[in-house]
Amino acid sequence: MSIGGSDLDRAITQLRACRPIPENQVRELCHKARELLIEEGNVVGVDAPVTICGDIHGQFHDLMELFRVGGDVPDTNYLFMGDFVDRGFYSLESFLLLLCLKVRYPDRITLIRGNHESRQITTVYGFYDECLRKYGSANVWRHCCEVFDYLALGALVTGAATTLEPSEGPIAENINIDNLPDSDAEIEIETLNANGEIMYRYARNSDSQSTSAASQANSNPASSSPIAPTPSRTGAAGTGATSSANGSNKNDTGAILCVHGGLSPLIDSIDKIRLLDRKQEVPHEGAMCDLLWSDPDEIEGWGLSPRGAGFLFGADIVKCFNHKNDLSLIARAHQLVMEGFKEMFDSTIVTVWSAPNYCYRCGNVAAILELGEDGSNAGFVRRSNGERGGGGGGWVLGSNVGPEGNPTAENRRLSSVLGDSMQRARDGPGRRYRVFEAAPQDSRGMPAKKPAADYFL
Amino acid sequence: MATQEIPNLKSLLASRRGGPSRGRGRGRSGPGASHEDKEAMRDNAIRNTDQDAAGSRVSCVELGYLHDPYARLFASQPSTRRLPLLNRGTYVRTSAIDHLVDKFLTTYPDSPKQIVSLGAGTDTRFFRLQDGYPESRIVYHEVDFAVNTVAKLASIRKHPQLHTKLGAIEPPRTPNEASYYSPTYNVHALDLRSLASSSDGVPIPELPNLDPSIPTLLLSEMCLTYLQPSTVSSILHIFLTRYIAVPTPAALVLYEPVLPNDAFGRTMISNLSTRNISLPTLNAYPELSDQRARLKGYGFVDGYKVADTALIWREWVPKAEKDRVAGLEMLDELEELELLLRHYCVAWAWRDGGAEGVFSKAWADVQE
Repeated sequence: MSIGGSDLDRAITQLRACRPIPENQVRELCHKARELLIEEGNVVGVDAPVTICGDIHGQFHDLMELFRVGGDVPDTNYLFMGDFVDRGFYSLESFLLLLCLKVRYPDRITLIRGNHESRQITTVYGFYDECLRKYGSANVWRHCCEVFDYLALGALVTGAATTLEPSEGPIAENINIDNLPDSDAEIEIETLNANGEIMYRYARNSDSQSTSAASQANSNPASSSPIAPTPSRTGAAGTGATSSANGSNKNDTGAILCVHGGLSPLIDSIDKIRLLDRKQEVPHEGAMCDLLWSDPDEIEGWGLSPRGAGFLFGADIVKCFNHKNDLSLIARAHQLVMEGFKEMFDSTIVTVWSAPNYCYRCGNVAAILELGEDGSNAGFVRRSNGERGGGGGGWVLGSNVGPEGNPTAENRRLSSVLGDSMQRARDGPGRRYRVFEAAPQDSRGMPAKKPAADYFL
Repeated sequence: MATQEIPNLKSLLASRRGGPSRGRGRGRSGPGASHEDKEAMRDNAIRNTDQDAAGSRVSCVELGYLHDPYARLFASQPSTRRLPLLNRGTYVRTSAIDHLVDKFLTTYPDSPKQIVSLGAGTDTRFFRLQDGYPESRIVYHEVDFAVNTVAKLASIRKHPQLHTKLGAIEPPRTPNEASYYSPTYNVHALDLRSLASSSDGVPIPELPNLDPSIPTLLLSEMCLTYLQPSTVSSILHIFLTRYIAVPTPAALVLYEPVLPNDAFGRTMISNLSTRNISLPTLNAYPELSDQRARLKGYGFVDGYKVADTALIWREWVPKAEKDRVAGLEMLDELEELELLLRHYCVAWAWRDGGAEGVFSKAWADVQE
């Protein structure tokens, strides 16, 4: 049999319902995917607009929520930065769905490798056991691992706009509209909740004072409105926190490197990543391992990673790497951040985390990062009237809130995750974060048998 | 002792033996379930937490985190390997309490010491101490629901590795025996809540061999946290004024969760409630400072300290041991581990009247 055309669409339909596809179809799918992935370089070129996503970890229902909030494939272009499997109950369905979508819409979706896309890690963290449980043999796990070996190690996004066209979403509850930047301001950062309501907006060249005021307001846990107040463009351009070094009004943001973990002391240029032989199990050390395992940290230079693989790297390393490679931003995943995303080192690197309530235990929100196309309305692909409504080609705004839902729940959780200062060498891309919570419990279809030791009892 | 406080011991035991009681519990939790049924179900859920702990201990032992040849002998379920971060957490919990107990036993090592383990369940500490401190004069007591003590004594009876540790004393022989007494090791079948209803002047249940005159360490590893704060207070009051009255030195070591009000804490409460487990002291003493105040309030005036397990891992575990443990398994979930460890604490508090008292001396340098 072959999995193509309508077979593939049937498989997608079945997987969207969170039902595994038969083993022979998995084999065929993995074969097709390998043929496709082998043609990709170690660093895949991706054009904006694109929506960048972090770890999924088998939380299938939350992946569906992600598509609801961010738009469906192929209407929205996606770049997933790895860690599709392990920990959650539905690694198999999540990974196979993403793989089907990759085979079906190869130009619309990019998958890069995370440290969990590895034989060794999946035997410890659940994917192997899940395959065994669902198919009675390890064959499917083996097919998937062969695909893992072909996944790209990184992606380079080009053509992203430096400023966001302000989204037309309504203002989230508890946000003072007076705090939003002027309508003619150049929006650098916008944070929307799952309803598409504006929670935060930051104008490029906002002065440092208003930024730190925002941080202060956010650090007060007792605040009744702990949403990041939106700094307005009150300060003169060129003051301490401005990012005008590169001429702020031009749309000439550098490229954005996407990688699961981070940098490696063995890699000082993107070309060196391109030279690696990636088609293998993730090694225990070396450049390929580092790209999938490293973490940024508040240190100078390089440090040993407490994970036992990869390294820690400081702001100086990131700034130097970005400058040398003409990057405006590194987007990476790999670390749980309670607020869904976290910009560090003057917004030269961002962590995006897309598994809400990670492991059904951590209580965190998730985020995705939308980068707009240069000269267009960032991140918003004008969608046709898709199956989820949105009506007449208007902006489709995701919503996970039912009629009785409380749309402000995620507002309360969002705290200051933006860097203290926005300055850097290159104007970063306009960044729209969509923050979302876990899919409602009743839609999760939690397995009857829960894991035994969620906590220490 | 108020026996009506222990509902349907035999039937609970039967349901345990008959396999997981989960399905049955669920059926009974329906809208028609009576108050008593719900109470019984909650009690049962708490009793079953002990096998969770036993399984976690076995996982740690099999992977080399802990040395405990006895853990497996008490675990009723086949061993399942726990996730690395849970193994790390179990390691920190166990080694932290071991550390405090070690300091206690090695201070004035020739003088007799007493340990009372509340809700001991399948804990193996007594047997490990026999190996580790053969010269110590320890009187060890375990208190738990009868359903747990019956199972424990059955395990001891079954395994020579266990009952030979009881020295020259006859091992327990009678089936379904719920209590066991000897000069070194005592197992008391007692619902601790029954103590809370004892008022001053009313006789309290006899705990044979409990010596009111020797320095006594009370241990509560995830036990008192399942009870109402006022009940806990009453139980400790009975121990500290009647079983072990002033001026006998007494101390308490607690292991329980903290920080209920952040996202992780809220999720923990909600997840555990689906297993019919509630943690009343978690809400009553949310922060570490609340734990300190609480301990002082119990009458431990000479010291009341608390540290979360994240700090304990960082500060208590020596570098070489950290390296050894970190090398046992690749641990990818560092952020989650940090979250998890920050949500559990070890608290230790004592009264012994003066700097030369055994607890003041033993724990003077333990960092909080």
